[in-house]
Amino acid sequence: MEVHGARTIAEPATTCDDQYLVALAVGSQDTAAFGELVRRHQSQVRNFLRKLTGDIVAADDLAQDCFLHAWDKLQTYSGRGSFIGWLLKVAYTTFLQSKRKSKRYAEVMDEVGHVAELESRNVTQSAEDVTDLEKLLAVLTEEERAIMVMSYACGLSHREIGEATGLPVGTVKSVIFRGKEKIRTSFDIKDHQHG
Amino acid sequence: MTSKIINMAEKLKDAEDRLLESMFAAEPIEDAGFSKLVVTRIRRRLWLRRLALPVAMAVGGAIAIKPASELVVAVSKLLTVVPDSVVQAPSDWVPSVQGIAISGSLLQTVVFGIALLGAGILGSRMILE
Repeated sequence: MEVHGARTIAEPATTCDDQYLVALAVGSQDTAAFGELVRRHQSQVRNFLRKLTGDIVAADDLAQDCFLHAWDKLQTYSGRGSFIGWLLKVAYTTFLQSKRKSKRYAEVMDEVGHVAELESRNVTQSAEDVTDLEKLLAVLTEEERAIMVMSYACGLSHREIGEATGLPVGTVKSVIFRGKEKIRTSFDIKDHQHG
Repeated sequence: MTSKIINMAEKLKDAEDRLLESMFAAEPIEDAGFSKLVVTRIRRRLWLRRLALPVAMAVGGAIAIKPASELVVAVSKLLTVVPDSVVQAPSDWVPSVQGIAISGSLLQTVVFGIALLGAGILGSRMILE
């Protein structure tokens, strides 16, 4: 990526577009430019991870890790797709890595007989606290959940979701279709498309 | 052309899509110091990375200084014992026992230094993680 021209001193970082801020952050290790990118996109990333994990604290910790990973891998952002699409890809990868780690941790704890402790830690919400959306997400697989959230909560196009998840566009469409079918059958939602 | 058709098809949302969008919609989350925290962590990591090598070198040097000085003393003693004709001779003329003693000590220092450097890098990576 190239920085086109020099930024004038008076120009605040808040008026620059994402691509320019990425170029600044990569080119001159400008943490302030990256901070502006974090400020702009933290809400979407945190919302995405909250919906995936169902745990606010864990999601915010993951969001921090996601932005740290994003800083480390910033030079791999080609600038072709949207920055939020790329960021959600990093967030999804971070989420999957943490899942793998916690699965391994659970296995190790299981081996040494700490099942009860883990189970009690996982129960963070009582039955009354579960929202409609959480019930909706519960019927979906992890992959379906991530793709549905990217599509309906984050507004990513099928192509962007494909880039974020590493799946072909056709697969993304079929996963969304399958997810909708599951929601329709689980919650008895009438097919609006056909009246 | 094909991508335009795909984009058009994506834009043609039905009532079900709109219902799902409204269900998935979430209030924007306030920054509340989140971005500051991330930037602080990044700056700390940058500092740690910058400091890691000089610190590892300083620690390694401090530990290696004793065997290194002993090595210098041993070599200087050796030079006083060995006749000038032997010292000035090509290296393959140097008696093998003394050669082994010098190279053994040097090797020990080098291996120790490398191990220390490796441990330093590994330690700094662990701190960063």
